[in-house]
Amino acid sequence: MKRFFPIDSKSEGLTLGLILFFVLLMPLLNGLVPDGSAFHVSSFQLSVWGKYLCYAILAMSLNMLWGYTGLLCLGHCLFFALGGYAFGMYLMLMIGELGAYKSTLPDFMVFLGYNELPLHWKPFYSPVVAVLAVFLVPGIVAFVFGLLAFRSRIKGVYFSILTQALTYAAALLFFRNDFTFGGNNGFTDFKYIFGADIRSEGTARGLFLASGFMLLAVYWLIAWMLQTKFGKVQKAIRDSENRVRFSGYSTTHFKVFIFVLSAMIAGMAGALYVPQSGIINPGEMWPTKGLDIVVWVAVGGRGTKIGPIIGAVLVNLLKSWSTKAYPDTWLIILGCLFVFVVLFMPNGIVGLWAQGKDLWQRRKGAGITEPEEAAA
Amino acid sequence: MKTYTTLCPVFILVFASLFFVIPDARGDEKNARSLLVDIVNGDSVGQEAALEALADESDPVINAFYSAFRSGNIFLMSTADGQTQVLIKEVNDYSDLLTGEAVNPTGELSVARASRGLRRDLKRLVDLLDLNSPNRSKKIAAAEKLGLSQNADYLPELRKRLPQQTEKSVIKAFQEGIYITELKVGSLEEKMRAVKGLGKMKSLPAKGFLEALIEESAADEEANRKLMVEAKNALMMINSHQAIVEKVGTLFRGLSLGSVLLLVSYGLAITFGQMGVINMAHGEFIAIGGYTVYIIQNFFANQFGVGSTGYEWYFIISLPFAFLIAALAGAALERGLVQFLYSRPLESLLATWGVSMILQQIFRLQFGAANVSVSSPEWLSGSFSAGGVSMSYSRMFLIFFALFVVVLTYLLLNRTKWGLHVRATTLNRQMASNLGVPSARVNMLTFAFGSGLAGLAGAFISQIGNVGPSMGQTYIVDSFMVVVVGGVANLFGSAISSLGIGMIDQSLQPVLGPVMGKISVLFAIILFLQFRPGGLFPSRSRSLDD
Amino acid sequence: MKLFTIAASKMRSLVIGAACLAISGSVSFGEEDTVKVGVLHSLSGTMAISETSLRDVLLFTFDEINEAGGVLGKKIEPVVVDGASDWPLFAEKAEQLLVQDKTAVTFGCWTSVSRKSVLPVYEKYKGLLFYPVQYEGEEMSPNIFYTAEAVNQQAIPAVDYLLEEGYKKFYLIGTDYVYPQTTNLVLFEYLKSKGVPVESIGGGLREDAEGNVISAGNYTPFGHSDFQQIVAEIKAFSASGDACVINTINGDANVPFFKEFAASGLTSEDCPVVSFSLSEDEFRSLPAKDLIGHLGCWTYFMSIDTPANKKFIDGFQEWLSKTEVTGVVKDDRVTCSPMVLSYNGVYLWKAAVEKAESFDPEKVMAALKSGISFDGPGGTVTSQENHHLTKTVYIGETLETGQFSIIKSFDDVVGEPFLKGTFMPK
Repeated sequence: MKRFFPIDSKSEGLTLGLILFFVLLMPLLNGLVPDGSAFHVSSFQLSVWGKYLCYAILAMSLNMLWGYTGLLCLGHCLFFALGGYAFGMYLMLMIGELGAYKSTLPDFMVFLGYNELPLHWKPFYSPVVAVLAVFLVPGIVAFVFGLLAFRSRIKGVYFSILTQALTYAAALLFFRNDFTFGGNNGFTDFKYIFGADIRSEGTARGLFLASGFMLLAVYWLIAWMLQTKFGKVQKAIRDSENRVRFSGYSTTHFKVFIFVLSAMIAGMAGALYVPQSGIINPGEMWPTKGLDIVVWVAVGGRGTKIGPIIGAVLVNLLKSWSTKAYPDTWLIILGCLFVFVVLFMPNGIVGLWAQGKDLWQRRKGAGITEPEEAAA
Repeated sequence: MKTYTTLCPVFILVFASLFFVIPDARGDEKNARSLLVDIVNGDSVGQEAALEALADESDPVINAFYSAFRSGNIFLMSTADGQTQVLIKEVNDYSDLLTGEAVNPTGELSVARASRGLRRDLKRLVDLLDLNSPNRSKKIAAAEKLGLSQNADYLPELRKRLPQQTEKSVIKAFQEGIYITELKVGSLEEKMRAVKGLGKMKSLPAKGFLEALIEESAADEEANRKLMVEAKNALMMINSHQAIVEKVGTLFRGLSLGSVLLLVSYGLAITFGQMGVINMAHGEFIAIGGYTVYIIQNFFANQFGVGSTGYEWYFIISLPFAFLIAALAGAALERGLVQFLYSRPLESLLATWGVSMILQQIFRLQFGAANVSVSSPEWLSGSFSAGGVSMSYSRMFLIFFALFVVVLTYLLLNRTKWGLHVRATTLNRQMASNLGVPSARVNMLTFAFGSGLAGLAGAFISQIGNVGPSMGQTYIVDSFMVVVVGGVANLFGSAISSLGIGMIDQSLQPVLGPVMGKISVLFAIILFLQFRPGGLFPSRSRSLDD
Repeated sequence: MKLFTIAASKMRSLVIGAACLAISGSVSFGEEDTVKVGVLHSLSGTMAISETSLRDVLLFTFDEINEAGGVLGKKIEPVVVDGASDWPLFAEKAEQLLVQDKTAVTFGCWTSVSRKSVLPVYEKYKGLLFYPVQYEGEEMSPNIFYTAEAVNQQAIPAVDYLLEEGYKKFYLIGTDYVYPQTTNLVLFEYLKSKGVPVESIGGGLREDAEGNVISAGNYTPFGHSDFQQIVAEIKAFSASGDACVINTINGDANVPFFKEFAASGLTSEDCPVVSFSLSEDEFRSLPAKDLIGHLGCWTYFMSIDTPANKKFIDGFQEWLSKTEVTGVVKDDRVTCSPMVLSYNGVYLWKAAVEKAESFDPEKVMAALKSGISFDGPGGTVTSQENHHLTKTVYIGETLETGQFSIIKSFDDVVGEPFLKGTFMPK
């Protein structure tokens, strides 16, 4: 039973239940409670929370890499954006002739003087191909990069900086107008998704539900993996890679596998994100975005199952609120938060309770420990 | 002062030539001055006549007048007796244009402005007069420029002065100017001679004219076939020469970009490479340096007035300040934050990222979101041209200074006690501490030194680029790349890698364009590190770094 | 470990509960005697350089209108949000303004991508956005009013002027995004239609398989800092005289470009640079004394000598000295075209609201389309059927003070967003 329902404690089950309740409640409040009631959730709020859920999935995928395998990837935003772009291509083609130029080509192509859809765009008329590409494109990029990097045993800080360079280079590439992905403007103004009007409330509810369920699915996947032998090797690599290698494991293969899986999850998060945010552009790949994700995980608590979700949602809530409440000083507020978290909350928000308990116990036991220290 | 003069005599030379105008005996100053007043006061007909008459004069006041006129420093003042007096303002002092006497303006001043056309004509005139300038490079530039205008009027002027020239490069410039003009206005025989001559001297500016000539002749049935063949020959010679010039130019540009990279990344090579702190706020230390220069520039401008001799010194004075202030900020950051994170390098990344956000917003609140303006002192503006390759003085200074920083750092690390301590702490913090190295202080000083170097880099960037809240962000990824490619614990490696990256970037740019060039460099770096994960000069160690 | 998870889970439930509460309580209603107006600009991130000035001028305009009695008897209540140079955030903030704050109108956006990002939002909720910054055209959303300069209100008059002055060679340079690409392509067609041979258009061309030119000019990435190569090219290009540079470099990349340009010894008499994205505000960060005589083309310059402009500048300066809004720089402020187009936008909106006697975006837009005039600081502007403005175009040259002196003006130029392919070569 536990094997397929990998929950450690009652409280964890309770939390998951709460998340599930939240995921189901929000669309209900949106659809059933009439507008104007205090409990009504507008489709705006629904899509904002839908985006937070996508961020949470993204943070979980990074946590899988950083928290459990010890690989800090500063370019995770690249996989997120690649997934987004792959799905965005499908959405762009679904606009059909509703664009400003009434052409079957996406507007920006007409704009740049294309007469015909480039070859690599053609398969994206099919939603199946698009969904496959959402997983495959980030997966393949991660596979190639990961294989090269891990084979030559690039690790630690070097790995982090290289991933940052990768996403920087990719961003510059996507910024180019003639790269056939819309340059700086990226993809916007989507109309239909799987035949449904993307602006309707029903679609917003559907996308929110999809994001919520995906979040739970990824949670389940990570939790399940952690209790398998694979998960143990994963943590062992984090704690001492050399010992794992000396024990006869090919850590390269493990790392590549984790990297690819994590990139695919990030890509999926991106694909869910794009229809809800309504835009994907190379800004999503900019190195600072990669750092943002790391910050979410660190604030929530790295190496914990629930930490990344809390971190992603909280930091983004804070950002949404402070950009309006303190438009001039919100960067300082966020900056101070990061510094504070790193200095005083090494285990993030999730670790706070344990930290406090630890502190309390130490203070209580101070009378005993002090003489010992003096003796030493 | 002493080191500075020995370092860059070139700049002093330029500096001097701008401030001590050597009088020329040939001109009649009084006449020139009255003509200039006519230009200010006259209508277009009068101006034209005055301009023409001025061409025979050659008084230094014309040059001073021209630069004052175009920068709004010529004023009209109504005197008590209803007359209008023309004043010229140099730095903070006014003088009467007509008499040259110093004047203390009493009445209301209105700026006299030159129209675009008049300014262009005046520029031509100044160029023409520069033919008599005692300054060699001015003379050469003037001869080239006049030639390029292909104006028959200037031909006699050039021909007249050619025999008086003694220096080889000046003769060449005059000859080149004559030839290019002859290409258009000369007889067939002259054209023939000009084409041959231009080919022989491999004249780059002539390229466009020769091409035009060939095109014209191709369309014209009557054209001289022989001239065309000659022109094609000449063009071929010029093209092959141009290829060489471009290579040299690329080399220089690569060197200068490399020096920028070196300056911005050297501080990081110390804080990250030597100390292992992933300092994401490195870019903001660069910005601190830039803002320091800005503040000192404003202070000097208020104190001495823009363009005064005192003002010219602001940049040199601001260098130590840029270093010190950034170093202080670095020391504060090390004491307040980084010292707790030596055992958690990846978390130092997060904390300094937070600091970087805070600093950026503080800059924005303090100095405004817009970039601030820093202008170069006169002795750093302008460029030096040799054989078709032009190098700006600011870039040359930058290259020298980068070299200076490398040498200084080397000496500090390898010849001082502090350097020994730094190296010991880098190798093994615990062990060094046990052996009596005051590691806390060493750490603070090292971090401060690295940050100070970033401040210096910012000071230099203020001369060639932006000074603004997010100026550091432009360089942060590049800086990390340089350090990683060089081999993390190896300062020398950083120097080599920055020069290498600069060279490769600049040689790719003409082929691929700026955007693709940069992307290719990044991918090349990523690939390179797959094959040499330790960088160019990996640190060798037997220990397992778990 | 056990304790740890329980603790964590308690935290979690708390957080989620709080979040639910936050959502349900966040819908608010404005007071009856005010009308909420959104301001959507980047106050942080890369675009803050330009956009903060627009926030300032908008707040000033609202205060000015409020002092004069407001709009339809209601005081304007600004809702300022920070787009943070983050495009998805722009869309989110736009939706927030429309749905939560129920603003009647929004003034905002600078970059094309931010406008493209919020466009679907305004169309979805049938809102109204005033867009104030020169842009590439090729767009006409029913819910956006473009007070911005269209390409034919900037680039075309500027090139006309250069041709008139006898310049024969044109070097095109820009940042690699839609506005420069489109402008340069339009200019390329335009120059060809004026008989300028292709060889005299510098910067490089790119053609598709069939030989159609799809991109003209030399492009650099955003925030490019090394212009050595490009300036060397320009120097060679201009060596034979009669050359000029048409510059669509965006924002702060202009600083290294002009510094390099000046350092190479080129002056405006040798080869003038006409810039379309460089107003007085951006000019503050450039060493003006090295750049005398370069050209700018806008529908407003601070140096315009009219009572309306004087009133505007004085009013703004007075507001600056009094305001207590955080983050407003008070010293050395200038006014520039995007600021005035924001200012004009607010007054046009006010006039349209009064004409329609309603704050309803659809009615306001209908009133705007019927043609409303406003005597702004840059001369009279009139709204057009096609969501753009008719206005006066000025060409100015830079002075050592960072101001422009006006050397030519074109009256009543009609804003025309769709220009591509309209110029036929001779």
